[in-house]
Formats: sequence, C-alpha cells, structure tokens
Amino acid sequence: MSSCSFYIAQVALLVCCLQASSLLAASLQAELVDERGQALENAVISLRGPLDEAASAAPAVMDQLAQQFVPNVLAVRTGAAVSFPNSDNIRHHVYSFSPAKRFELRLYQGTPSEPVVFDKPGVVVLGCNIHDWMVGYVYITDDPRFAVSDAQGVATLASLPAGRYAVTLWHPQTPQMLPQEAAPLTVGTEPIQQRYSLALQGTQAPAATPPASAFGDAFKKALRDAQ
Amino acid sequence: MRNSFQARIAAVLIMLLLAVIGALYLAVEAATSVAVRNQAREQLDVGARVFEQLLDMRGRQLHDAAQVLAADFGFKDAVGSGDAATIRSALANHGARINAGIMLLFNLDGGVAVSSEAHVAGVLAERLSAQMTRLHNDGAQVFMLPIHDQIYLLVQATVVAPLPIARLVLGFPIDQSFARELQQLTHLDLTLLGEQDARADIWVSTLEAGDQDEMRREAAQEMFAPDSLLSLYGETYLVQRLVLSEGEGFQVQALLHRSLTRAEAAFAPLGQHTLLISLVALLASLGGALLLARSISQPVRQLARMAERVGQGDYDGQIDLQRRDELGSLANAFVAMQSGLAERERQLAHNALHDPLTGLPNRHLALERLGSAITAERPTALLYLGIGNLRLISESCGPGGADLAIQQMTARLQPLLRPGDSIARIIADEFLLLLENTDSDNAVAIADQVQQLLIKPLQIGIADIAMDCSLGIAVYPDNGTSADELLRRASIAMGDAAKLPGRLQLYQRGRDVAHERQVRLIRDLRRATAHGELLLNFQPKLSLSGCATHQAEALLRWQHPQLGMISPGEFIPLAESTGSIQALTAWVIEEAMRQLREWHDRGLLVQLSLNISTQDLVDPDLPARVRELLVKYQLAADQLTFEITESGVMLNPAVALEVLHGLRACGISLSVDDFGTGYSSLAQLKRMPVQELKIDQSFIRDLSDTSEDAVIVRSTIEMSHSLGLTVVAEGVELESSLRLLQRWHCDTAQGYFISRPLSASAFEAWVASPPVFPATTVS
Repeated sequence: MSSCSFYIAQVALLVCCLQASSLLAASLQAELVDERGQALENAVISLRGPLDEAASAAPAVMDQLAQQFVPNVLAVRTGAAVSFPNSDNIRHHVYSFSPAKRFELRLYQGTPSEPVVFDKPGVVVLGCNIHDWMVGYVYITDDPRFAVSDAQGVATLASLPAGRYAVTLWHPQTPQMLPQEAAPLTVGTEPIQQRYSLALQGTQAPAATPPASAFGDAFKKALRDAQ
Repeated sequence: MRNSFQARIAAVLIMLLLAVIGALYLAVEAATSVAVRNQAREQLDVGARVFEQLLDMRGRQLHDAAQVLAADFGFKDAVGSGDAATIRSALANHGARINAGIMLLFNLDGGVAVSSEAHVAGVLAERLSAQMTRLHNDGAQVFMLPIHDQIYLLVQATVVAPLPIARLVLGFPIDQSFARELQQLTHLDLTLLGEQDARADIWVSTLEAGDQDEMRREAAQEMFAPDSLLSLYGETYLVQRLVLSEGEGFQVQALLHRSLTRAEAAFAPLGQHTLLISLVALLASLGGALLLARSISQPVRQLARMAERVGQGDYDGQIDLQRRDELGSLANAFVAMQSGLAERERQLAHNALHDPLTGLPNRHLALERLGSAITAERPTALLYLGIGNLRLISESCGPGGADLAIQQMTARLQPLLRPGDSIARIIADEFLLLLENTDSDNAVAIADQVQQLLIKPLQIGIADIAMDCSLGIAVYPDNGTSADELLRRASIAMGDAAKLPGRLQLYQRGRDVAHERQVRLIRDLRRATAHGELLLNFQPKLSLSGCATHQAEALLRWQHPQLGMISPGEFIPLAESTGSIQALTAWVIEEAMRQLREWHDRGLLVQLSLNISTQDLVDPDLPARVRELLVKYQLAADQLTFEITESGVMLNPAVALEVLHGLRACGISLSVDDFGTGYSSLAQLKRMPVQELKIDQSFIRDLSDTSEDAVIVRSTIEMSHSLGLTVVAEGVELESSLRLLQRWHCDTAQGYFISRPLSASAFEAWVASPPVFPATTVS
C-alpha cells in the first residue's frame, strides 16, 4: 500500500520536474524532522520564490484504499480540483467541515463524476461518515512549489531557479494545524540539502487503522481467561 | 411449706433456669444486635458498591448515548456550521432524544460555545470548564455536579469531524425517581447531598419528608463520619457516606442509610419466640421441679410421719413406697428398723414383765393380770408356792442346779394350767399360780395336785432332789379385793403353811392383822432392851429329889408400851427369824446374873436356868462373855444352867459343841430343853456335855398311868439316870402328874401346878413361904 502511494508521489514529482525543466535550476532535498530529530512523514514544505509563474493548479487525486485516505496528506495549489476515487469495494461518505472547504460526497462507489475544487488556501480535514477512523488532510497553498515528505522524512523539490525563497512547513500535528514559517532559502545552481525541524503538538493523530471488532476483542479475552 | 425441701428444690431449679434463660436471652439479644449491625454494615458496603457500580453503569450508558449523539452526522453538521442558534436547536433536539436535562457545547479551548440553559454561564461555566478539562485529562467520562437546585450527572463526548472540533457535555438530573430506582436495586435508603459554596442546599432522598428535615438538622451539626449512627424519629440508621465528586466550592455526597430499627424488627419474632420458649420451658421446669421435689418430699414426709408414730410407740405404721431408688431402700430400712424396734421393745417389755430364767411372768405381770381379773370381777384363786429348801439345793447342787430345779419344777406345773390360768415367779423361791374362775374348794384341789406333782424328787445331775414346797391360798373375792392385798395374804398363808406338816394353808381371816402385829413387834423389839420394856419372870422348880437349893427358870417377858405383855412364844421366834435374838440372850444373861447377885446379897441363893437360843450357840465368843459376866457379878457358875434345844446343836454341830464345851468349862450347867420333840439322836446326846434333860411339856401335860406318854417319860427318866443326867419335867399342871413323876424318880418338876412364872419380888415371896406339895410331903 505504501509503495503504491510512493509511486503516486513519484508521479506527482515527475510532473513538477517536467514543468520546470525549461529553466536552469537546482534541486532541494529537504529533510523534515520533529523537535527530537525523528523523521516526519507527511510533512509539507512549500516555497515561494521571486520567479513564480502563475501556473494553474494541477488536478490531484485523493484515493480511498483499504478504508484509508491515500495519500494521508495531499498538498494542492489553491484552486486545484481533487477527485476522490473509491478503490474499495465498499462505499464511503467523504465529508469536510473545515472552513477552507466544506463539502460532502454522499455514499458512493467508484469515482464521483465531479472533482472537488479547493479554492481557498488552508487545511481541509477529510473524514468518512461511515468509517470514523478515516482521516485525510488536504493542504491547500498559494505557493507554487511544495512537496510532501516520504517515510524517511525527505521531500525533494527539483528545478528550482536560483533565487531567494520563503519556506513554509506544515504537518497535521503542528499546533492549531497552522503552517510554520522557516528560514528563507537561497537557491543557487547547486543542489541543496536542507534539514527542517517542526514544532509539533503532543496530540496523537487519530487512529490510522480500523479497530478490531468488539466481538473479536471479547472472544480473544474469553480465550485468554479460559487458558 | 415455704421452707420445705420441695419449695427449696423448686426455687433452686427456677433460679437456675431463670439465670440460664436470662443469659440466653441476653446472648441472643447481643448476637442479634451484632448480627443486625454487621449485616447492616455489609448491606451498606454491598449497597455502596452496587451504588457505585450502578452509577458507573448509568454514566457509561449515558456516555455511550452521548457518544452516539456526538457522532451523529447531522449533529456534527450543525456543530460544523458554527451558527450558535443552529447548534442550540441541534442540542435541544438531540438532547431530548436521550432525555438529557442540560446540554453544553465547549470549544476545544474550554470556552462555552453553546449552552441549552441560559443560566449556565459565568463562574459556573468556568467551573464546569475547569472540571471538564480535568475530566478530559483524567480520561473520566462521568461526573456529578450541583447546578443550581439540582445535581446533574454529567457526561461528555468529543465531537470529531473527524478531528475533535468541540466537546459536548450532557447533564442528567438526579431526581427522586433516580434515587428510588437505586433504592429498589440496593434496598437501601439513599440521600444525595449537593453542596455549593459550603452550603448543603440540594437534597435528594428516599427518606420520608420529616426524616429528611431531621437529617438536615443533624447534618448541620456534624459531618457524617463513616459508619456513624443516625437517629431519626426513633428509627436508627447506620449511615455510609460516599463522596461522589468534590471540587472547589462544591461537593456531592451520597448517604446510604440502613435502618437498624427495621432490621432489628426482622429479629423481633426470634426474640418473641425465645421469650415464649423460655416461658414454656420455665413453666415446664417449674412443674417438673415441683413433681420431682414432690416425689422426694412426699415419701420423706411419709417416712417422717412414720418415724413420729414409731417415736410414740406405734409400730404398726405401714409405708407404701414401691420405689427402687434410695428412698425405696430408705423405706425398706425404715420398715426393717420399725419391726426391729418393735421386736426389741416386745423383748424388753417381755423382760420387764417376765422372769429371765423361767420365762414366766414376774410379779408385776402377775399383779397386772390379777388386777384385770379383779376389774372383770372374775373369781380368782391365788396359789402362793414357796420352796423352803432352795438354799439347801443351791448349796448342794450349785446355783445352776437350783436354776435347773426351778425350771424342771415349772415345767411340771405347766400341764396343770387351764386356759386363763398362769404361773408367775414372784421372787427367787416363791411362785404364784393364778387360777381364774376358781373358788377356794377348787383351789385346794388344784393345790393338792400341785403337791402331788412336786412330791416326786427332781433329777438334778446325779442327785435326786425333793423340794420342800409350801402352798398358801388366797381367793378373790373372799380374801380381798385388791391385788396387793390378795398377794400379801396368799404369801402369809404360804408362810403359815410352811409351819404345817401338810404344807398347805388357806388364808385365815385376820392373819394379815397378825402379820402386821408381827412386823410391828419385829420393829419394836430392837429398841425394847434400850427402853427397858423387857423383864424377867421366874418360874419356880420343885425338887423331887430333896435338894434344898431354890431353883427357877428365868423367862423373858416383854411389856410393850401399846400392846401390853407380849408372850415369848410370839416374839422369840420373831427375834430368832430376824437375828435380834442374840441381843435378847445377852440381855437375859446379864439380867439374870444381876438378879442373882441381888438375891445373893440379900442371902437368897437361887439356881437359875436360862433359855439359850439356837443362834446363840453359833457365837464362839459366848463362853468368854459369860465368864466376864460371872466375874463382874461375882457369881458361882453352878448357879446358872443354860437350856438348849436339840435342834440348836443340829444347826452347826461343830461350833455348837465348841461353845457348849466352853460354857461347861466355865462351870455352867447345860440342859437339853424340850426333849422328845426333835429328831436328836441318843448318839448326839452322848456327845453333848449336858447334865440335865428337860422332858417337853407335851409329854407331861396329860400324863396318866396308862398313857403312852407315861412309857416315854418313864423310860426317858430311867435312860437319863443311866446316862448320869438329871431329869426335869415341865408343864406339870396336875397333882397326879406330879405323883407319877415322883414315883418314877424324876428329879425336878416345873409347871403351873407348882407355880406360874413370877416377878422377882413375887418369887422372893414364894420362896419365903412355899406352898406344900404332896410330892414334897411324900418325900
């Protein structure tokens, strides 16, 4: 499953690189860690530079696979249309009460005909009305360049034109789920390797896996007691 | 009765039982009380746990309900809308679904977003918020809180979309019905107490309204310690206090009450039953004790009554105790004792009234029987039987022989007795036969039979013993009307009979008077010498052989002051039989000597003869005394002649002969008096140192030429002369007799024909002018 999401991320990055290939550019390999130095997965890094083109937001996909949102964190540019295909053979009821985008996709199977357009920057928390544990995040940013860290906490931005960039970091566990400004980044021609640390709130992310059934628990417990 | 054994046993048993019952009752009471309290405490503990469990369960249910509510998409939608009015209406709507009384929505930062109650704001809201935060941090989901005038059970749920966006708090009022529900489940009274700002102003209780007020007053005074007692209108409660929630400025407590009074009431029947059983046991034991005591005391009383009767001499008491226990054996012992006593008393009575040797009635019984015969006026004859020679028998055969003789004798007499007759032993050798319905003639006939029976000798050992039995007869009513009198008269008759050859004598009228006279004489004789009542008379003797000396026999006379002159024939035997004869003899000897001295001094020479009693001859000192007197009166011994009887020598020949020889040695002449009446042998006569024979007057009185007496007298005179003895004939009353005596050469004559006994002076006169007798003239 993770290899699948990685694959999708690769595809997204590839798209980005192809777009910036016309310019002479350097690449950024950002290593994202928490305050204790642990690698952070699903952290978003976005750069706003001097030579940003007003490229339209690329459409994105938030899949539901094995009763999980895939990817867990999806970063899109403001105005991007995100389609919510359902790869499970059960129905989902995806909703969001986030102020950035309130929407509701009533019980459906397959891909709904209309993608959801996220036209305001912010964080949209996705839930499924049927499966309470399903949580997904859509990070909507005005910044043209952004990446989501992989399991090793590494996010790579290629084809960066030289210049000075404002850096913004985000993670579902950042306080109040607000983005954090990092030190500006000056990009030359050389590839850059940069380490970024995020301050996180102690609260755990909601359970990312479906709980075992209560009956199963009771059964196992009865077995233990019987032994 | 109050102090009786029975009452004491009963009292002791009852006391014991009361003590046991009392102790039992107290123990039951104490155990009950402890059990009630322990039970109540246990119930309280259990109740408290149940209560907590219930509360917890209730809270979880409510929490679950709240969770469900919070997860409702529509509700989330409403909350997500952010519109207060919408949210409030959603709260009201959804809260009503689960009967929540109060609904609050908090922001994640703790602030009240929306409240269903307008008054939940300010301090209360802050408190709620703080409490909720704490709750949230503790992971607790249920909480109790006083809000205004109600206690609420608060639960919270997080609204997730899908991340938490708000906290929902639902409050359920804890009211009377909730308390009742808990009471029904725990069976405990319950009071919930809410305190706000140190004021206990919220009360929810299952107690009666009055009790609540009372408890409020109590509560105002003291906080309830755990396990404390609460008294409300006479009902005692054990109280357990649970603090359900506590915080700044508020507290919610639950007080669980268990009524001890009611719990104890459950045991009241036990107490009543115990009391009832005790009472029944008490009564039963009282009855049992009384019965037991009665079963002991009644026989004891019976025995006591019997003992009383035995004490009074009644041995016929019967005791009816068919028991095998100790009392039974006591009763048996009692009966045995009674019969033993009766037997012994009968024996004693028998011994008292019977002679031990012969088993015959004794004098007392004889008198008693005689008395009853007299009372019944039955003619009764008394045969008084005396054995004259018992002493001799005893001497020859020993005392055992005498006893044997008596036993054989009485055995011989037994067949003679008819029914109603009896034989009694009066003293050693005197017996009495009482013959009922017998007159004097029949009595004599029977007495004759008795004599016939006893004449045959008795075989004692190897000796044949003849009894010398004398029989005196007295007859009722002829001879007396009292038993004593009759017995005395029969005895007198026996005494008379002893002197008769036939040895049988009917009582002669007046004999008892004579007997009394004898008794009087015997008594007075002892002092006769001292009182000078005695005197000597002198009967002259006439010498037929021409002897010139005056001779006389000194005869003792007793001048009794009241009875006058007593003849020696009457009092001498009495003196002999009572042992006073020696004194009389001594007096006679001295008086005679004094008289002789007197006469001698006046020139009168008299030869006196004195009568010496049989008993004087056994006194070895007599010769010495006579010699002293002879010296004293300076008399020649030949002036005195002592007349002795043949039988006197027979009594104790050795001593008597010694005495006679002693007298003879003094020069005293000895004469055998009353010759011819005794059984003396000539051989005996030869051994005696006598010089004279005195032929008894019975031979002389009617002396005639042709009579048998003549032969005796004549041959006696001749024999005496042949033996060298002089002969005196006494009792000469006729001249013819005197002539015959003179013809036969009798030496001396004495008798009324010559002279009757004379006083001393008369004798002197007689001597001075003696009458002239043919004999003397003849000579």
